[in-house]
Amino acid sequence: MTWNYSEKTTQLFMDAVQGKPGTHLGEIENPDGIGEHGSIACGDALRFSFRVERHPEDPLLDKIVEARYLTFGCTSAIAASEAMCRLVEEGDLSPMQALSITNQDIVNYLGGLPQAKVHCSVMGAEALEAAVFDWARKRNVPLSSLGIDIRKEEQEEGRLVCSCFGLTEPYLRRKIKELELRTITEIIGAVKAGGGCMSCHHTPGGLQDLLDETWGRPADKFGGMVNLPVAGQTATPATKGERTPFRFAKDVERVIDDVVRPHLAKDGGDLELIDIKGTVVYCRFLGDCATCAGSSRTLKTLVEHSLRTQVDEKIRVIGV
Amino acid sequence: MKGPTYLDNNATTRVAPEVVEAMRPFFEDLYFNPSSMYEPAQQAHNAIEEARRTVAEALGGVRPQEILFTGCATESNNAAIFGTIAANPARRHVITTCVEHPTVFEVGRELQRREFEVDFIPVDTSGRLDMGAYVRALRPDTLMVSLMHANNETGVIFPVADLARITKETDPSIIVHTDATQTVGKIELNLEGAFKHVDLLSFSGHKLHAPKGIGALFMRRGTPCRPFLIGGHQEEGRRAGTENVAFIVGLAKALELAAENHDTDQERIRRLRDKLQKELTNRIPFTQVNGGETERLANTLNLAIHFIEGEGILYQLSAVGICASSGSACTSGSLEPSHVLRAMSIPFTAVHGSVRFSLSRYTTEEEIDHVIEIFPEIVANLRRLSPYWDVKRNAPRPEAAPLMHQTEMPAG
Repeated sequence: MTWNYSEKTTQLFMDAVQGKPGTHLGEIENPDGIGEHGSIACGDALRFSFRVERHPEDPLLDKIVEARYLTFGCTSAIAASEAMCRLVEEGDLSPMQALSITNQDIVNYLGGLPQAKVHCSVMGAEALEAAVFDWARKRNVPLSSLGIDIRKEEQEEGRLVCSCFGLTEPYLRRKIKELELRTITEIIGAVKAGGGCMSCHHTPGGLQDLLDETWGRPADKFGGMVNLPVAGQTATPATKGERTPFRFAKDVERVIDDVVRPHLAKDGGDLELIDIKGTVVYCRFLGDCATCAGSSRTLKTLVEHSLRTQVDEKIRVIGV
Repeated sequence: MKGPTYLDNNATTRVAPEVVEAMRPFFEDLYFNPSSMYEPAQQAHNAIEEARRTVAEALGGVRPQEILFTGCATESNNAAIFGTIAANPARRHVITTCVEHPTVFEVGRELQRREFEVDFIPVDTSGRLDMGAYVRALRPDTLMVSLMHANNETGVIFPVADLARITKETDPSIIVHTDATQTVGKIELNLEGAFKHVDLLSFSGHKLHAPKGIGALFMRRGTPCRPFLIGGHQEEGRRAGTENVAFIVGLAKALELAAENHDTDQERIRRLRDKLQKELTNRIPFTQVNGGETERLANTLNLAIHFIEGEGILYQLSAVGICASSGSACTSGSLEPSHVLRAMSIPFTAVHGSVRFSLSRYTTEEEIDHVIEIFPEIVANLRRLSPYWDVKRNAPRPEAAPLMHQTEMPAG
């Protein structure tokens, strides 16, 4: 994936990383509003803070005079943070006016963002909103009575399924369930996904797979897979005489503990039992044995021989 | 003309000038279809068979008929896996690993959708395969295993020769496939010796200074595997499609060059990589080398820089003409961070800040010195912007520090 950032995006990023004057990197001490969005796990995180000039009577007339950000994220996340601070400061806005800045305003300021990077501008708008809510709380501004819905639907992040409309797997899974979408046509109608280039319909992890995983696969026309006999019976359990698999394993363990390991310990080595499948015993040499050139011979002459004579003559030992 | 400082050789490599020269006649005078009857076409046909012998020789002297030429490693991997399951309908269980390249990993997920049982064997924090889990996963109905030789992101090498032996000693009818795309030409692979238990082996040309668009699949004689591309008699009906003569010749030439210069190249590359690793980890606090404690390819350095994001690093590197790659979400095209680093339980503070440098025989000491000089500043630039970083102390903020203790961390 190559970069196709606008000149403005590139310029804002390079100015920011080089700490040029006029950039807004930083954090305001005792801010009037502070908001965060994203997390290090998602790969994007932004802390946005601002300072206002307080109006003596009406907090709604406060003016934002300084905006700062700290961002963990990619080129466009950093450029979007910088763009947002400029929009806020240049607009000479009150916090309430700043609330009307949308992610699209940030995209426009940047001269466009690649489809896959639009979430960077959303992150900016979300952090700005959180900071304004923080300011409102500190200044006792009753936001809900001003008709502002504090509960906004969160942008879902995840693998992009439909790149034409920028729709992600978690979002589509939720919509398929909520709206009971059963076919690709229904998905296109309801949420547009797959209505563009249509390449996501039957790709691995595409729309049909999401449908199948939600509702189960349609019944196989030919009656499903016939249970054929399994070829190559070499590793099937072969219990001998009265001995149960449990007893067999205990016996193997006993011989290894009582006979094999004390012998190896004399040379500074040891043996770990990894698994038993039928009469095949898997073990691993430890200590000096692990690096010893003769270890594969020891496996046959000591380990396999002891087990064959004392537990079962069919035993095979495989070194791991 | 001075090109960029190219340190992304696990993505692709520059085509060797000798390879270009070897290919040239097949674009110009010897353009014939190798299947045609007239005499000049015979020369094209002969060139393919000569190339096949060279490749067979490079893999430890296997039979030339055991080498199939394909379009790329992706095709080789798909052909190996889908071909094997098609030929063995009685078994429904496949084993692979959590850190495979998508050309195997996603095929594994596709098999699950087709109602196969697929086990993805985990790795530890240094990228080592959990051998116990591998052994326990082997079952009476196991059809095949597909295990990469070296990881493209970290360079960590899996003990494929041992794994193949364990598998065949358990049940000789389990088919063993390995994706050796990152190791052919870098590590000696003897399919008649240490790797004699491997049935299918994939690789491509463009990781070893041949062009993109040519791959190969070693298919041991007698391996039950149905063809993936059907429709022609080429490659004895095992891979239809007119042979890409020039590129086949180029692949063989590239393997010859790799063999000729193997020891000196690999030693020099390792020294440069070690220098890069040592200097960067000394100069930059809070870094970790992913896969650093494990046997790995001599050319690969996967360095995690805590608390910054890789895409911003790559962008600044690119601005000064240095090419590298990252496992961060923002560079993946899918908005998800590297599944390899996630499988290694690398903390998020470092996954997003991982940068992969991969060297080649054309990498110079000056280039490495240039990166050593410039890289610490690039990191500092981004850490200044990071909400998790305390610039004054040049350390993570106290409240952010616990984020990176999910796994063991070297002190910075």
